[in-house]
Amino acid sequence: MSRYRRIWVVYRKELVETLRDKRTLAAMILVPIVLYPVLMVIIVEALRAETGRRQAERYSIAVPTEEHRQWLTGVLKRAVADERGSAAAGPEFLSATLRADQVDIDVVDAARSLWDMVADQAVHAAVLCDPPPNPADPVDATNRIVQIIHCETNPRSEFVYGQLGAIMAQESDRIVRERVSRMPGGAANLTPILTNALSTSSPEQQFARILAMVVPFLLVIMTVTGALYPAIDLTAGERERGTLETLAVSPVPTAQIVAGKFGVIVTIAMFSTSLNLGSMTAMFHFSKLAQLAASPRSALESDGRHVEQIILGRGGQQYDSGSPQRENIERRRKLEEEGSKKAGFLTTAAPVVLLAMLPFAVLASGVMLATCCFARTFKEAQNYMMPVMLAFMIPSMIVSYMPTTRLEGLLLVIPVANIVVLIRDLFLGNHNAHAMGICLLSTCFYAAAAMSVAARVYGHEAVLFSDVGSYKTLLRRRFMKPRPAPSPAAALLGVALLFPVYFYWQSYLIDLEAGGARMRLVLAGSQVFVLALPVVLLCWYLKLGMRSTFSLRMPRSSALLAALLLGVSIVPVANLLRQIQYAWIPPVMDGFEAQAEPLLTGPFASVLVVLAVLPAICEELLFRGFLLSGLRQKLSGLSAAVVVGLIFGLFHLRVEQIPVHSLIGMLLALACYKSGSILPAMVVHLLNNALPLVATRVPSMSRVLGLDRFAADPSTPSFSFPTAAYLAVFLIGLVLIARRPRNST
Amino acid sequence: MVNESVDRVMIEVIGLTKVFPAPDGGEKRAVDDLSFHVTPGEIYGLLGPNGAGKTTSLRMISGLITPTAGSVILAGHDVARERESAKRCLGYLTASTGLYQRLSPRELLRYFGELMGLDRRLVERRIALLIDWLDIGDFADLRCGGLSTGQKQRTNIARALMGDPPILVMDEPTLGLDVLTNRIVLDFIRAEGARGKAIILSTHYLDEAETLCHRFGLIHQGRLVGEGDLAALRAASGRTRLSEVFLSLCGHEQHVLQAAPELSASWRAAGPTKRSGA
Repeated sequence: MSRYRRIWVVYRKELVETLRDKRTLAAMILVPIVLYPVLMVIIVEALRAETGRRQAERYSIAVPTEEHRQWLTGVLKRAVADERGSAAAGPEFLSATLRADQVDIDVVDAARSLWDMVADQAVHAAVLCDPPPNPADPVDATNRIVQIIHCETNPRSEFVYGQLGAIMAQESDRIVRERVSRMPGGAANLTPILTNALSTSSPEQQFARILAMVVPFLLVIMTVTGALYPAIDLTAGERERGTLETLAVSPVPTAQIVAGKFGVIVTIAMFSTSLNLGSMTAMFHFSKLAQLAASPRSALESDGRHVEQIILGRGGQQYDSGSPQRENIERRRKLEEEGSKKAGFLTTAAPVVLLAMLPFAVLASGVMLATCCFARTFKEAQNYMMPVMLAFMIPSMIVSYMPTTRLEGLLLVIPVANIVVLIRDLFLGNHNAHAMGICLLSTCFYAAAAMSVAARVYGHEAVLFSDVGSYKTLLRRRFMKPRPAPSPAAALLGVALLFPVYFYWQSYLIDLEAGGARMRLVLAGSQVFVLALPVVLLCWYLKLGMRSTFSLRMPRSSALLAALLLGVSIVPVANLLRQIQYAWIPPVMDGFEAQAEPLLTGPFASVLVVLAVLPAICEELLFRGFLLSGLRQKLSGLSAAVVVGLIFGLFHLRVEQIPVHSLIGMLLALACYKSGSILPAMVVHLLNNALPLVATRVPSMSRVLGLDRFAADPSTPSFSFPTAAYLAVFLIGLVLIARRPRNST
Repeated sequence: MVNESVDRVMIEVIGLTKVFPAPDGGEKRAVDDLSFHVTPGEIYGLLGPNGAGKTTSLRMISGLITPTAGSVILAGHDVARERESAKRCLGYLTASTGLYQRLSPRELLRYFGELMGLDRRLVERRIALLIDWLDIGDFADLRCGGLSTGQKQRTNIARALMGDPPILVMDEPTLGLDVLTNRIVLDFIRAEGARGKAIILSTHYLDEAETLCHRFGLIHQGRLVGEGDLAALRAASGRTRLSEVFLSLCGHEQHVLQAAPELSASWRAAGPTKRSGA
């Protein structure tokens, strides 16, 4: 039976069993469908109740004299009248205003101070006006200072204070208007500038902007929550119920069981994500909040309309409104009309968002599955899940509070956070293929590492049976048995952990505005301390055979010859491939090369060591040594070479470089496992890096390698005689190296 | 030159050893250089006190855990190297084996049949046969979660037989079962033995083993201390009943007899029993 059929059998059974569990169904379907509308209703009703209560409440304000009382009553009445005059923006339940009939204004006898009355909470606030107010003529020529005494810890006092502040500002405004209208020129002097703000975002985009603030974070949470229950149930749950033993004794490789279970977790997580996204979007769409938030002119509704009337020539004559302004208003109105005809946001952006969530769901499921595999009981698994959930929530929470974060630099490869920003960018319509590519590929890579760890841990006897030692035997050095090479899980996990560190180091290097020597030092540091040293230490810790892990053997002489042939021809051949690729997809030119320029200046020996010799040693030790020998434990030579190549490509930071660098990585892996030695790969790598460096110093070298032609026109494949010759040499090398595999075990 | 008796060996255990890391940093030898073999139609009783290493041995034989040293060959397949082929020849049953709560016995049997890579029609035919033979029909389509212990164990037996394996490994299959279910399991073991299967049975119930098994292996502290049929064991120990043979070969007989007077003496020396609140 094929492995896919068996994975399918496991998948189908686990899915059926999971879906028969009412708890899962409730968490998956009921929560998203019912929760959001109910939450919405509760929030709206709570706000409404709060407002109603405030409206019904009576408030007391203390004033020192009868004049004060009359004046304040007048001010409150005028404020209410103004409020009715202008249509209030937004639904009434969101705004509460202090009405004159709600307020008791007490005149305090001289014996008690206003301060004491507020401090003792006998009244909600006190108002003291100086010079004393003139109720007969509120618009007299005197300027006054109004002191409002309030108690910050009393919410009602705070409400009165807030309202009074606004009402006083309105009153002041009214007085200014009145005074100016008595002057020559009249009220027209008051507003020398009116603004008319027009957004080029369609109503749909404005709606999406609101969603972009909350939805990515919620989606991450919901995906993780969706994966949580099946991840626990299919691992620790299975062990607790005593069925794991039966499954382990059936003739199915652990990796296939894990793959089937993993598929179910991803399915449930994605299903939960889709339902949540749909439900959230629908809720925003149909609730009043969405209309409020996405309405074309929200706060300045009345003012905006008024100004537009003026611009369109139906208002006052004193503004000289030209046709460009009118044109802009018409464009805006057209946009709004189109928006009302279009289908909802859900149908347009949601599929893309879901597609972007898939790698994340894979990562979350992989991490949870791997973690749950350590647990022996349901309860233990739940305990382990707490920190995992937090690890997913905290980064997404942090980036969702930083609305100006851009998807670049280190953020591209920080798991979880990159997806949150990516989804937000998708909502806002800021697509950047390069960033999205790195982001999704790195997520896939982490997911693969998590999955291989899950497969490794799942079948381990210490985890299978609680009485066979603890899982410390998996982690502690003294329990480790000497092995010739790392397990695929250890290899992938090791490289996955190094990936963000290396990425960070590289972006730091690019941002570093320093001289060539300093940059080279940093680069050499990344090669030695991030790539080579950790794996060598890991090798020691895991008691791996250094010789077999890193293929430290002398190759046969024909392999070395092949490596030389490949090495001298690889640069033109790779450039030909790049030209073919760029002819299809033009590369992004963003001055990356210019930033790396200082690296090349300085003593040639140091340039050569840092940019050619060190990478040839360190990168080979990591990729063709540690990673390849680990993957070879489970994969055939060719598949292992393909995976090593893809990961090698991913380490090269730039999306357009990934295809060619992946191919080079595959070639190097092929050279390593066919010859049984890492040396040919190192030779090819060294020549690949060194020859272009020589060309920067020796112009004739640049011509020989065709680098000048490539630099002049990188996106037209030029198939000239020298290229054909290089290709021939390359193929001879390839045949020579692939001729006879040497058993590397 | 092929030796016929070697050719007929179904289960071959050679020098099986398992060393666990102990929590104190030392080592614990759970199974030490265990060797025996089982031929088709033979029921081999693996007997020993708690913690003797029976379960660990059976788990190594079934390929659930990896031996520190030694090898197991099931129907010609080395468990370490041809794990899947070896497991395909094996039916495994314990009393503590769980069932999938939210599947019915029929679905459960279908699942394991498909996992073994059996043809779909063959799966259905076998399910029908097993349901008939083990009298599962009444509850074949109910969820396993709601079945009684006896019904569960019958389903478990059916599950172990789904692949019609030539080898059965049973780790205390009757532990904690009522008389009726116990009887079903024993009948099943006897019938399978008669059908020519090689069976390893580990049990605490020596009477049960005495009537059922053809040959015995006694394990004590991870080592095989006695092996043979009942007559051979009787001859070696000079006892007639299996339980006596067992105690004698484990060297426990003397200890218990000697310990009893000592214990009662120290008991008395500790003073009269006081009851609190009396």
